Amino acid sequence: MPTAGEDVFKDFKEHSVAEFFKKNRQMLGYTGAIKSLTTAVHEFVTNALDACEAAKIAPDIFIQLERVGPDALKLVVEDNGPGIPKKFLGGVFGQMLAGTKFNVFKQSRGQQGIGATGVVMFSQVTTGKPTKIVTSTGDNKIYDAEVSIDFKNNKAILSNEKEYSGTMRGTRIETVLKGVKYQKGDKSPDEYLRRTALANPHTKITYIDPDNITHVWDRSVDAMPKMPEKTLPHPKGVEVDDMMSFASHSASRTISSFLKTDFVRISSQKVKEIEAKINFDINKRPQDMKWEEAEQLVKAFKEIAFIAPPTDCLIPINEQHLEKALVNIIKPEFYTLLTRSPAIYRGGVPFIVEVGLAFGGKAGRSVTEDVEVKKNEEGEEMVQSEMEIMRFANRVPLLFDAGSCAITKAILDIDWKRYSIKEGPVTVLVNFTSVHVPYTGTGKESIAEEDEVIKEIKLALQDTGRRLGSYVAGRKRKYEREMKRRLLDVYSLPVSEAIGGIIGKKHELVLSKIRELIESKYEGVEEEGGEEESELAEDDEGSEE
Amino acid sequence: MATKKVKKDVKATATSSDETMKKILELANRMYADIEKRNSPDMDIPIRSLSNVKYDEDKQMLFIGDKAAKRKFLNTAHTRKFMQTVMVAEFCYNHLLKTGLHTSIRDMYYGLKKTIGDSKVNTVDEQGETNICAVDLEVALNLIREDLNLIANPTGKVVGPAVVEDVGDRIDLSKMGSGGWGIPSVVDLKFKECSADYILVIEKYAAFARLNEDKFWDKHNCMLITTEGQAARGARRLINRMANELDLPVYVCTDSDGYGWYIYSVLKYGSMALAHTSDRLATPQSRFLGLTMSDIKDFDIEEQMIKAEAVDIKRTKEIKAYPWFQTKEWQKQLDLALKLEKKAEIEALTKRGIQFLSKEYLPTKIENKDFLP
Repeated sequence: MPTAGEDVFKDFKEHSVAEFFKKNRQMLGYTGAIKSLTTAVHEFVTNALDACEAAKIAPDIFIQLERVGPDALKLVVEDNGPGIPKKFLGGVFGQMLAGTKFNVFKQSRGQQGIGATGVVMFSQVTTGKPTKIVTSTGDNKIYDAEVSIDFKNNKAILSNEKEYSGTMRGTRIETVLKGVKYQKGDKSPDEYLRRTALANPHTKITYIDPDNITHVWDRSVDAMPKMPEKTLPHPKGVEVDDMMSFASHSASRTISSFLKTDFVRISSQKVKEIEAKINFDINKRPQDMKWEEAEQLVKAFKEIAFIAPPTDCLIPINEQHLEKALVNIIKPEFYTLLTRSPAIYRGGVPFIVEVGLAFGGKAGRSVTEDVEVKKNEEGEEMVQSEMEIMRFANRVPLLFDAGSCAITKAILDIDWKRYSIKEGPVTVLVNFTSVHVPYTGTGKESIAEEDEVIKEIKLALQDTGRRLGSYVAGRKRKYEREMKRRLLDVYSLPVSEAIGGIIGKKHELVLSKIRELIESKYEGVEEEGGEEESELAEDDEGSEE
Repeated sequence: MATKKVKKDVKATATSSDETMKKILELANRMYADIEKRNSPDMDIPIRSLSNVKYDEDKQMLFIGDKAAKRKFLNTAHTRKFMQTVMVAEFCYNHLLKTGLHTSIRDMYYGLKKTIGDSKVNTVDEQGETNICAVDLEVALNLIREDLNLIANPTGKVVGPAVVEDVGDRIDLSKMGSGGWGIPSVVDLKFKECSADYILVIEKYAAFARLNEDKFWDKHNCMLITTEGQAARGARRLINRMANELDLPVYVCTDSDGYGWYIYSVLKYGSMALAHTSDRLATPQSRFLGLTMSDIKDFDIEEQMIKAEAVDIKRTKEIKAYPWFQTKEWQKQLDLALKLEKKAEIEALTKRGIQFLSKEYLPTKIENKDFLP
């Protein structure tokens, strides 16, 4: 299928694609041994999720990582998706930019058709070996092949093709990656998958890690997410180059009709308003639009008020679903969620911010290893934890480049101390949903620091932060109250013995009366805070022995 | 030894055991009544810090004001101390007063220390906690230490031309060998004979041992006492009773630093922590013999001076501000100390010879009546 990708690659004709890939693999997320592994897992898992969702199948994804050499791991990803028809196989795994999402204005996880092929390439470049694919559409025929890439011609080479009958539906991919490193922690495939499960509550993920430990994240909800709609661009979201590109592809005969049909929220009335602000004829063919004229249009768009873009093209995780996943996976003591109303950035790109704050349970990052272990009054070690930040863009976990991300910036801008949750077992989850995610760089691991985006995230964090803050404060009060009560309970025993001993009553009797006193004091209303006893005596006597 | 007639037989103003027990029982009954009424049991404890300790210029001693703090069981900032105080009360009531036995505050500490039930909390962790509670109880019930049958480990030694009777034993303080007689915690003794002309109190045991070996007390006909640092109640009570009952002047010799001067302050005016019982423990007729800042120059021991630490300077400034240190002579001494930022110990005199203290310094000072008020 002819794609715009061919245009992109035209420029690289003199070099082989392999050279391009070797030189530019950081663009695809293959930088460093740790990140490369997570990127590969991400690509296959994303593909599997997209395939299942497109076919309205509740995803059930199996991932295995197995050590096969000092710096080599075998990656297996298997899904229960629709399978890949034989004739598309080469295109999906062996050809750059052959996906179905490129240049479509629609909310998606994918990486413009480079993803799966990128993994195959990485494997081929590092091991010289093809990637093994087993797939079936569920028609009792299983198709088994090895895919490698003809870099010169950007084409797939299929080898060892086999076809046999059997019951299976879905796709299984096996590939060996060299020059990668598995390391537990924030940036590991483990964490990537845990977060994927969190942001995709309709998905079941089974993962066997390189230490042969099986992790299962069960489906939290049965409902499938709604599929995002394709949408026309909103005038506020258009830059000059977009305008030129849209105009050149337009089927309209006049710019006037191009404006009305190729954008949302532009009525005939609005066209008149636009016309009043420009100085060229809008009855000419859109293809004849000049750069300078496109600039006038974009400028006019900025000055005119339009109805906000339709937001049915945005599918956030959904508060109820995210709640279930959060409870399932983090098992927090307290959590609060918020989905903001749709907003727009760069004047016209709609987006939705979802925020979840979780406290206690498995929330927060444990930092016991780095810091001095604190002990509580009972002498028990207290697990020290700090805030864990989970960033998502269109449900895809962002594990790298946190420093240059709008989500990080918004979180750092919040004065968490005001909510008494600076430290402690807190997880902050932010999902940014948009047709067009303003990634910084090609690594697609961070969201550009757009003012509107940061503002929306901050508003959501402040709201949820207040809710969590009041819970934490109440919890602290309750805890202190319990501690005080426990202290009174402990000390009432010797007090009862002493008073009973002087007045000649059994200490059990005195104790039961003291317990009644404490009970009456601690039921219902809160007692006043215990004030320090003023220093009764100056220590001026030296030791009296 | 010439016998001097004992002037007056001052009776100890102790409360009888029965009365003490009655006071404790009343306190406990009131607490139990409060508990039954679902009120927090409490007790009023007079505050014994600078904010509630005043200086009585006529009597020349410290006394305690009428400010009291309420110690409440239900106030969790007080609960532990409350518990310890009632435990001390019960211990004195059942183990000491009922049986007529005495024990040391250290013994009581061990008697009360235990882990509570199945908790990890001890009733008492350090002896200081029960020591303070004993004083709190004493002040709260307007008693004196002796009333509770509690004694402290004795500190302080005495020798001199006197005979006393303690729990029926006749003790000749002129025949105490090289060690001196240990001053008991409860000075419930009778003065049988005494020929001394004055009492010399010296802070340090080392100096006391020197003077004892030199038979200073015999040659100069005085009672020689060491407090071995800050004076315990026993030593203070003994000095108070000898000065009052035998009508003897008291000369005090300490290091020339903030701590030394405060030892003098406590002996003369009483201490803040025990301000409620100053009339039994303070001896306002005491005079400060040395070491003064001027002595250091007069006796040519300037080389032996030590640089004052920050704590010394702080202590000196505090003393300078006490209302009972506002005499011209003392202010001059303290100003000098602050100006030089130096201090000196009694042992500095040893530089002039081992016997310089007993043969030169003390006789010169006493003969010239070179004292500070």
